[in-house]
Amino acid sequence: MPDLYELARGPLFRLSFLIMALGLLRLFLLSLFGIVQMVRRARDKNNSYGKILLTTASWMLPVHRLHRHIPLISFSSFLFHAGVIVVPLFLLDHIYLWQASIGIAWPGISRSVADVLTLLTLITGTLLLGFRIFSRSIRQNSGFVDYFLLIVLLLIFATGYIASRPYNPIPYQTVMLIHLLSAEVFLVLTPFTKIAHCILFPLIRLTSELAWKFPPDAGRNVTIQVHGEVKSI
Amino acid sequence: MNKRLIVKSILWAFASVGLVVAWARFSMGLGATTALTDDTPWGLWIAFDVMGGVALAAGGFVIAAAVYIFHLEKYSPILRPAVLTAFLGYTAVVIGLLFDLGLPWRIWHATIFWQHHSVLFEVAWCVMLYLTVLALEFAPVALEHPYLQWPILQRIHKLLKWLTVPLVITGIMLSTLHQSSLGSLFLIMPYRLHALWYTPIIPALFFVSAVGLGLMMVTLEAFASSWLFHHKIKTDLLAGLAKAASIVLYIYLAIRFVDLAVHSKLGYLFEGSWQSALFLFEISISALIPAVLLSFSKIRHRLDALFACSLMVVFGMVLNRLNVGIIAIEKSPGNVYFPTWMEISISLAIVSGAALVYIFCAENFRLFTDEKEEKKSIEKRQFEQPVFDAPSKVWLGDSLVQNISVFSIIVVSVISITAAMLPSKAISGYERDPVPVRKAVGWETIKIDGNRTGEFVLFNHKEHEQRLEKIHGEREGCLACHHASIPQDGPTGCYECHSDMHLSSNIFDHEFHQKALQGNQSCTQCHAEGQSKSRESSIACTECHQSMFQKIDTGKADYYIARSYMNAMHDLCIPCHQEQSQILGDENIPKCAFCHVHPPQTNEDRMQKKNVDAFPFSIQNGEN
Repeated sequence: MPDLYELARGPLFRLSFLIMALGLLRLFLLSLFGIVQMVRRARDKNNSYGKILLTTASWMLPVHRLHRHIPLISFSSFLFHAGVIVVPLFLLDHIYLWQASIGIAWPGISRSVADVLTLLTLITGTLLLGFRIFSRSIRQNSGFVDYFLLIVLLLIFATGYIASRPYNPIPYQTVMLIHLLSAEVFLVLTPFTKIAHCILFPLIRLTSELAWKFPPDAGRNVTIQVHGEVKSI
Repeated sequence: MNKRLIVKSILWAFASVGLVVAWARFSMGLGATTALTDDTPWGLWIAFDVMGGVALAAGGFVIAAAVYIFHLEKYSPILRPAVLTAFLGYTAVVIGLLFDLGLPWRIWHATIFWQHHSVLFEVAWCVMLYLTVLALEFAPVALEHPYLQWPILQRIHKLLKWLTVPLVITGIMLSTLHQSSLGSLFLIMPYRLHALWYTPIIPALFFVSAVGLGLMMVTLEAFASSWLFHHKIKTDLLAGLAKAASIVLYIYLAIRFVDLAVHSKLGYLFEGSWQSALFLFEISISALIPAVLLSFSKIRHRLDALFACSLMVVFGMVLNRLNVGIIAIEKSPGNVYFPTWMEISISLAIVSGAALVYIFCAENFRLFTDEKEEKKSIEKRQFEQPVFDAPSKVWLGDSLVQNISVFSIIVVSVISITAAMLPSKAISGYERDPVPVRKAVGWETIKIDGNRTGEFVLFNHKEHEQRLEKIHGEREGCLACHHASIPQDGPTGCYECHSDMHLSSNIFDHEFHQKALQGNQSCTQCHAEGQSKSRESSIACTECHQSMFQKIDTGKADYYIARSYMNAMHDLCIPCHQEQSQILGDENIPKCAFCHVHPPQTNEDRMQKKNVDAFPFSIQNGEN
């Protein structure tokens, strides 16, 4: 057990963290590269970048846009995102670990704020899971990965919360091991699943806007693909 | 195309492994990443990357000489690939050298701080100059690219073309100089290199073997590029190279065996040791078998035989460099050098990187100057290359960078896996091996020898006790040294906490305390609630064990970590000895040799000799 714990703390964490960080960087650069290619090829180069930027910014505060008929979803989704971003990055215990390993530290949030945010994340996450299970329209749009990622995320936060309590019936090392392993699974999956929107969100609007500008010879290429050669008319 | 994609993917994977290891090597140093020691300071990077790389690059000057000096125009189609290989080979040599140098940022020192008695000085200058010459020789090929048609570049292009022959002559001279001077390096170790490989004419052997190897390397490369780029192999051209190689290899064999005979070393050949077997194996595959086979015209014109011979020579000559550099060098007993996987991965990564650049040049420049085939492939590629359509301001066709998503996913995953596999010393830096400390033994006089090397210090405990009692008082005198005790113990010995000779050790058994206090219900008994559970947030030992630290001195138990035995001893003894030397007016008291005497002395012995010398170590030896 201590060996497994050391493995999860050291090599497995390095593996998953690097896959996450480099994988996200790769996705971001590839998307940028694709956008440049699209602009180079499109004949119509009049793109309303200002408008796209505005849309992107407005999606960062989705309360007034999403699910006007179920405000609870958009509200809990917003809180859920806040917790998921702030707690892992600014929890003091995590910052101590970074300082001990690579010597870089940054200001963190106090324990009480972290506790409140964690509980909020757990509550809103459970709510979102409930909507995915019980609301028919959302269930029809969900796949296995959507449930899996949400459950893993809830597991990470729950075990993290338990591990930071002094009084709990479960052995500390077991809880920490589950916390580490589930977090590592989540990190590895990040660049390969929809979680990649954490870095791609500034480009999503831009990509979908530009992708509709076909290159001038697109029709000819389609013809070649379908018929093998271009027939003179 | 698919074949090339697979090869390139594998090369990218190797290069990525090297990238991570390179980070570890440059941030944590040679000790953390290599198996090199003071006994074996030259390892795989020198023997394979530097010595092997220089030899493999010899094809460049050999083919250039054939085409420009001897006007053998037949060989001009393989000139450009040969020059490119030489250029990449030398770049690989320099990069390999950067890895091996202890202070790589001083690689430029040879240009300013001249040491003309050193062979390495010649090697450094030749490599620098020849690398420049090769870059200038290859530059015209790159400047033909349609993207580089600026007027200033074209002027340089013209100038370089005009300078071709002088450049080629300079290149041949520099190559001759330092192919051989790599061999001269071993002239300083006639008794370390095994007799079968050591000879005063090793520089000449290095040069001749490099010429043969260069010819066969160019042949092997022709096979590789015809496989990758679907060229037709010109058999008569390769047969010509093979004939020349055969002659050169015969000359090499003759020099080598005559040299062995002249120095009456032929007996070593049949000694039956592993060295003699290795030598016979090396000489047969690197020269004997290929030279004999290639002297028959029929065999020379068979592609499979040519391929096998070139492979044999390349493998055999690289083995020769490895033998001279590592394997046949005598080592002190029990000291075996085998490169770590990190050293091997760096060598592979450098070769892979060079191969990737080669493929890039082959794809983008006119490397194979066969006009017909070139035209065909350009026509075929026209739709693949991006073309700017000026009227519509649109780029047509595919992008310049192909398969970027495939290569990037390979790089990302291989980097992550390699980083996970790095040993802990490659991440946190080289650390000494743990040396557990043994208890000091004795009664009135104690023998302090923590790591049991026999170099002990005799410490008169009773005398120190009496003296310290006089100075500090009865109880305080003991506490001057015995600053802490294990709970329920009297004065605890130093070794109990300072339990490693050179490393700090943890003196707090967390698991024991956790169990004794009933599991994790009790975290808050030591760690403040609402704070991160760390060493820093925990309470001091003395809050529970009042009698543990007899003398309250938190600096001595800094977060439950005890210093190394050596540091603990020195820091305890030296300040007091310095103080006493001031008081007693004896400048010898704080000196090393006052305690570390060889052979060890008791205090009584020392007192009898009135004037303790500052360096009794050397005097003792002199008396003996």
